[in-house]
Amino acid sequence: MIEVKSLTRLYGEVIAVDHISFKAASGEIVGLLGPNGAGKTTTMRMLTGFLPPTSGSAKIGKYDIVEDSMEARRRVGYLPERVPLYQDMTVFGYILFWAQLRQVKAPRDRTVDVLKRFDLLGRRDKLVRQLSKGLRQRLGLAQALVHDPPVIILDEPTIGIDPQQVIEVRQAVRDLRKSHTVLFSTHILSEAEEICDRVVIIDKGRIVAQGTPDALEKQVRANSFTLEVGRLAPERVLEVLRAIPGVASVKRRDAHFSVETDGSRDVRGDISGAIVAAGGELLEMKQVKSSLEDVFLRAVQSAADNPQGQKKS
Amino acid sequence: MTVTWTIFRREFASFFVTPTAYIIAAGFMLFTGVFFSQEFQVAAVRRIPINPATIPSLVSYMLVFFAPLFTMRLFAEEKREGTVELLLTAPVSEASIVVAKFMAAWAYVTILLGITLVYQAILATYAPQDIGHTILAYIGIWLYSGTVISIGMMFSALTENQIVSAFSSLLTLLILYVGDGVGGIIGNIQLSEIMRSLSLEAHYSTSFAAGLFRAEDAAFYAGVIVIMLFLTMRILESNRWR
Repeated sequence: MIEVKSLTRLYGEVIAVDHISFKAASGEIVGLLGPNGAGKTTTMRMLTGFLPPTSGSAKIGKYDIVEDSMEARRRVGYLPERVPLYQDMTVFGYILFWAQLRQVKAPRDRTVDVLKRFDLLGRRDKLVRQLSKGLRQRLGLAQALVHDPPVIILDEPTIGIDPQQVIEVRQAVRDLRKSHTVLFSTHILSEAEEICDRVVIIDKGRIVAQGTPDALEKQVRANSFTLEVGRLAPERVLEVLRAIPGVASVKRRDAHFSVETDGSRDVRGDISGAIVAAGGELLEMKQVKSSLEDVFLRAVQSAADNPQGQKKS
Repeated sequence: MTVTWTIFRREFASFFVTPTAYIIAAGFMLFTGVFFSQEFQVAAVRRIPINPATIPSLVSYMLVFFAPLFTMRLFAEEKREGTVELLLTAPVSEASIVVAKFMAAWAYVTILLGITLVYQAILATYAPQDIGHTILAYIGIWLYSGTVISIGMMFSALTENQIVSAFSSLLTLLILYVGDGVGGIIGNIQLSEIMRSLSLEAHYSTSFAAGLFRAEDAAFYAGVIVIMLFLTMRILESNRWR
C-alpha cells in the first residue's frame, strides 16, 4: 500500500532523509522508530505530499506522491505531530469542514459516525479551544479518518498525553489494522513493540534495521546470557568461557557473568559442558530478555560506527 | 470549485466567531459616522450638495489602516497553528486555498461597504442624488478594497507572525497610498507620473470618485489583485521547498 524507494530529502546541505526504502502492505501497522531528529517527520511529510522529495520516489497504492499527488493525497489521512486545529470552530464544525473538503459523500452522517467512534459526539458543540489535550488528539485522529482513507499516517500520536489516553490512542491505532494501512512514528520503543506488525528503525535519515519486532529482538536475544557459576574461582570461569569458540566477550558482575556471543552458533551446550569439565557447577544460565531497546541501541550504535554515506557533497 | 466554496465558508465564518470582525466593523462605523455627520452638518448649514463619493473616499484612506487588521491572520494564523500542513496535504490546489481566502476577506469588506450605504440613503432623503456617480464611486472603492486585501494577504503568507504581517502590509499600503501626493511635489515630471500611476489612490480619486469610469483604472486594480494572488500561491508553494 505504501512503497518507498530510495527516498531522499535535503534541507539545503543537510540530509534529513537519506535513501530510505521500505514497504507497508495493506492492513499492516508499520512503526517508524527513531530518536528525535532522525527524519521521521520529514519522511511522513513527503508521503503526505507536504514536502516534495529531493530524489527517490514513493507510492500510495498505485499513485506516485509527486506525479499523481492529488490522487495520492486523497488516499491518505494524516495527523501531524502538533495536531493542527482551528481553535475557533466547534468540534462538529471542524470535522464537517474536513469531510466536505475531502468531498466525502453524506458529510454530516459521516461526521457523526467519526465523532461517535472517538466518543466526541457528546461534545459536538464545544469549541476546539476548550478541549483538553487528549481530546484534541482524538479530534485529530477523527480528522485523519473522516474520509476513510486506505492509508493513515500518524506522527507521534501518543506524545504529550496522559497514560490513560496513550492506551486509548494505541487501542484506536490497533483497531485500524484490518481495514487500513497505518504508518506511525514514535520514539517510544515499547509502543512500537506493542502495536506494530513491522518496525523500521531510522537514525540520522537512514534505515538501520527493519523487520517484525520479534525478529529484531531475536537478533539480539540469542546472543547474550547471564550465568551464575559455583565452586570455581571467577578468574578460572572467565578463562574457561573465553576459550569457547563463538563467545565474543565475557564480563564479570559480582557473582554473575554476562556472556555475549558472535551469533554464529548456539554455545549454550558448550558453556555448560566446559564449566562442568573444569570442575564447577552451573547454577543458572539465563537468556537475557532483550527488547527493541537493545535492537535500537545496537542499530543506532553500529550506524554511528560506520558512517559511510553520511556525508554527500 | 466545491472545495474552494468549502474553504471560503470556513474562512468567512471565522471572521464572525471571534469579536474581531465586530470590533473592526464598530471602529469602521464610528470613523465614517463622525466624519459623515460633520460633512452633513456643514453642507446643511451652507446649503451645498454633498459629493456622493465623500464616504467612499474616506474609506479608501481608512482601509490602509483597517485592511491589515483582518488580512493579517489569513495565512499567518494557519502557519502558526500548523493547520496549513493539513490544508496542503488535502487534495486541494494552492489556487483554491488562496482564492477562497481572498474572497472571504473581500466579502467581509463588501459587508462593511454595504453598511456605509446607510449614509447614501440618508443623503437621498434630503436631496435627489446622482445615482450614477454613487454607483461608480462604490464600484471603485470595491475594486480598491480588493486590491488592498490582496496585498495584505500576500504579506500574511510571508510570515507566521500576525504583527509582522499587519505592519508590513500597513507600511506598503501607506507608501502606495501617499505615492500620489509625493509624486505631486517632485520636480521630475516623468518620475512623478510613474509614481502617480503606481499609487493606489490616484486610480480612485481622479476617476471613480469623480463619477468617471476609466478602463485603465479598473485594469490597474484587477491587475494588482491577480499579481498578488499569484505571488501568494507561489509563496505558499515555496514553503514546501524550504
